[in-house]
Amino acid sequence: MKTTEPSAVAPGKSSKPSTLITPLLAVLLILSVAFVTKAQDSRIQLSSLDHLAAKASQTVDVNIDERLVKIAARAFSDKDIDEKKIKDLLTGVKGVYVKSFEFETDGQYSPADVESIRSQLRGPGWSRLVGVTSKKDGNVEVYLLFQGEQVAGLAVLHTDNRELTVVNIVGPVDLDKLANLEGQLGIPDLEIERKPKTKSN
Amino acid sequence: MRTSPYKIFIVLIALMFISSVVEAKGDDFNSVVKMIEQFYGVKHEGIPFLAKAGMKVATTAARIKGGDARRLAEAGSIKLAVFENQNFDGDFTKFRTSLNEALNTTWIPLIQTLSASTQEQNYIFLREAGDKFNVLVITIGEREATVVQVTLSRKNLALLMKDPEGTGKSITQEATIIDQE
Repeated sequence: MKTTEPSAVAPGKSSKPSTLITPLLAVLLILSVAFVTKAQDSRIQLSSLDHLAAKASQTVDVNIDERLVKIAARAFSDKDIDEKKIKDLLTGVKGVYVKSFEFETDGQYSPADVESIRSQLRGPGWSRLVGVTSKKDGNVEVYLLFQGEQVAGLAVLHTDNRELTVVNIVGPVDLDKLANLEGQLGIPDLEIERKPKTKSN
Repeated sequence: MRTSPYKIFIVLIALMFISSVVEAKGDDFNSVVKMIEQFYGVKHEGIPFLAKAGMKVATTAARIKGGDARRLAEAGSIKLAVFENQNFDGDFTKFRTSLNEALNTTWIPLIQTLSASTQEQNYIFLREAGDKFNVLVITIGEREATVVQVTLSRKNLALLMKDPEGTGKSITQEATIIDQE
């Protein structure tokens, strides 16, 4: 005797679409999450500083994401020595992000503002470089993100009584590269110098 | 023959995506001008001014071609809206958020500078346009504002990328100098 189970699928309709959509969406979701996580490993979140723009005498926000890096690679010529230099420096770089605030009086940003950045730089893989100084007034902290032996990102935190600047370069980069990019692409000239080659965590 | 819901779903998603991109890319220049007008309750200069500016483009282009000054914008590519002697009172952080939300689908923000003390705002967005590049420069001060859209060659885009602030100012100057002659 043949029995039939009650089914939600109407006669003449296939259940194939709904059974396909769920795993397809799941795979897409997993892939996109994995991609975003990998790509943003060395990108630090700077939006916690956005509120400072309302009281800063000067706010600079540079946002060179991967799309712009690719455009820059097309824009810079191999024939022009300066442009080729920048093009080479950008090789492998996935993003350059800068937020800089200047204030007319002291104490306009709080320790919590700085901590919102430092706390990210205490995360796995990040190491602070010691022996780094700047010709500019104030305090400069430089951090590198290591993935194995490879550098996967760099962050610079410059604090002064009336200034707060964060530079974040996503991708393989070192201090020499940063020094060459200073003053280009909207990256401020922090005049960073490295003295002894020491690394600490 | 019945179309499967799966196909309909995919087609609908594709249509929604295409229509949103087309709408956003259609005329972002006018959208930005309208956004400034609505946010700040101001009005940009009317057609007579723009017509006059358009007529002077040719002479300016000729002058620049013969002189030392470098012309950044591709010929005929300038779109310009000017706001003069009006009050731009408003929370610029809110304006910035609205602007970025409106343009983030089709434009890439390059640099944004703001000043709480002078109320000056500068925004530079860009996007690819075939083998050239569209650049949108928005400058808002306490009493005046300009919105400029130009097309740049690869070479001039390199200048913009190297020095976004300086070249952005030059693009605005180049577009607005036309009226000052």
